[in-house]
Amino acid sequence: MSKMTRRKSMEYIKKEYARTRTMPASWYLNSYKYKYNVTHMKPFLDKLKEGKLVGLQCSNCNRVSFPPKLVCGNCLIKPDRWVDLRETATIATYTITYLKDEATGKIIEKPIACIRQDGCDTTIITELAPEINYEDAYVGMPLKIHWADNLEGSLSDIKYYDVIDDKSKDMALREKK
Amino acid sequence: MGRQVCVASAGFCEHASKRSDVNMPELVSEAIADCLAKVPSIGIEDIDAFVNGNMPAFEGANMPELWMTDWMGARNKPLMRVTTGGTTGGSVAIAGYYSVTAGLPGIDTVLAVAFEQQSQGDTSVGLASVAYGEISCLNSLGIPLEQLSRLLSAGAAIGVASYQATNYMRRSNITEEDLARVVVHNRHNAAKNWYAHLKMPNLTIEDVLDTPYISFPLRYGMVCPASDGVCAMLFTTEEKAKDMADIPVYVNGVASVANETAILGYDGAGAGQLDPSEQLGARRSSELAYGQAGISFPRKEIDYAEVYSPFPNQELMWVERLGLFEENTATEMYKNGTTAINGELPINCSGGVNSTNAIGASAMERPAEAALQIMGKAGNQVPRTVHTSLGHGWGGALNFVTLMVMSDEPQRKWR
Repeated sequence: MSKMTRRKSMEYIKKEYARTRTMPASWYLNSYKYKYNVTHMKPFLDKLKEGKLVGLQCSNCNRVSFPPKLVCGNCLIKPDRWVDLRETATIATYTITYLKDEATGKIIEKPIACIRQDGCDTTIITELAPEINYEDAYVGMPLKIHWADNLEGSLSDIKYYDVIDDKSKDMALREKK
Repeated sequence: MGRQVCVASAGFCEHASKRSDVNMPELVSEAIADCLAKVPSIGIEDIDAFVNGNMPAFEGANMPELWMTDWMGARNKPLMRVTTGGTTGGSVAIAGYYSVTAGLPGIDTVLAVAFEQQSQGDTSVGLASVAYGEISCLNSLGIPLEQLSRLLSAGAAIGVASYQATNYMRRSNITEEDLARVVVHNRHNAAKNWYAHLKMPNLTIEDVLDTPYISFPLRYGMVCPASDGVCAMLFTTEEKAKDMADIPVYVNGVASVANETAILGYDGAGAGQLDPSEQLGARRSSELAYGQAGISFPRKEIDYAEVYSPFPNQELMWVERLGLFEENTATEMYKNGTTAINGELPINCSGGVNSTNAIGASAMERPAEAALQIMGKAGNQVPRTVHTSLGHGWGGALNFVTLMVMSDEPQRKWR
């Protein structure tokens, strides 16, 4: 491609050129000290340790965020009302990844989902239970939280999401097809 | 209010996956030379100010304009760099528009240059540097890095786009075949465009569907390439543009709107966009830009559209969100040939981002191509006369949108 590339320009800058050479080079990236705010995360994580789910509600637009947001994107105010959330959720959107398992060298198909906890207005990226067949995942699939064995008060307390029976009318239509 | 701004010319360099025959400044000067060749009455000395931009950290040179001043001909002239990720090109074009419309003394002609030489660096490192703060935040909140890399493994742009694709497919009940049809449309158009990267005149829908998945529902054959390329646009005032070009292109409306992020929230929080294919930012930006341009019926008044679509589902989505087609009818339009080059509303006749993607330049190539279609100088020219056209850009975590509406006659309704 490069040899065939017709060079029709650059008369006014450079009349003749020698082929540009490629120099391999590498450099270390520094380690960084990112900052993040935990004022809104701390009560949330404390509740997680008790096995409870809470969201933070904006007192102006009533949007609930889970995990809590420090600033409401709509109103630019600090949400300050804690609300309890149910353990059920639905898939807001999902994708399937094709990753090589390093031990066996096989390609594993795994659904990764953005879920919306029932009662909140934000999505969170998470994993589904390993026994869910990736072909069965769909947008709007009802899920239930699967807690980790030991609750530590961190986001990993939500191990993954189990699938529960779908009783929506939509589903009946789906089966008819 | 501001001055009327015109596009006098636009230029490209030849795009390829590896332009190893040139280095970054040489690549940039190629596009500038192509841009100036279309306006023979002026030279580099007639340009009053420069705006440039690229995606930071993709080439491993983080202040490229520092080395590039000589090659752009910007010595001793005002120079500014704008960079907003995927929409860099769109923002650079809008910054060029602002510089002219502001009416500063002595600044009438502004050259906007957006570039990217992806073969020089590692795109995935560049993208990781964008989100690494968020990833390490989630890590410290208790998600192990190994699981995080799996969650975000679909990898940056294609990962977030595949979520969007799933949602769009669910909304509008389309199949993968419909996605492949858009890809074929783009690659066939690219074959007729001199600067395009992936030229595939004989591609069929089956060929696309034969390729493996990268992440469901996007297949390898549907995904945009990584190109080296540059785009340059020349903005000037109405009076000067009439001297420079046969058909000056009037910029009638610009907009750049940011929405809440999707998929990944800030500080470990939930993401505000429930449905990534909803795209309120695009709706809002089209409202703003059409309002400025005095366009009430975009479907009827716009003759040509260039939308930013690295992935086929996005092309279908954007044309709906920008008001060109009714909701969930875009697929139909690709089927019945409305969007083909000789159709009623041609879309992406340059091949689009799906065939040529030099990230920093891509969002500027859209308005540049849209302007050239009005001038009649485009690589793959629409046979019908184009009066009004649209150039769109997208970036960020599915949330930034830039828009530029151009026409062959000035619109002064809003002044």
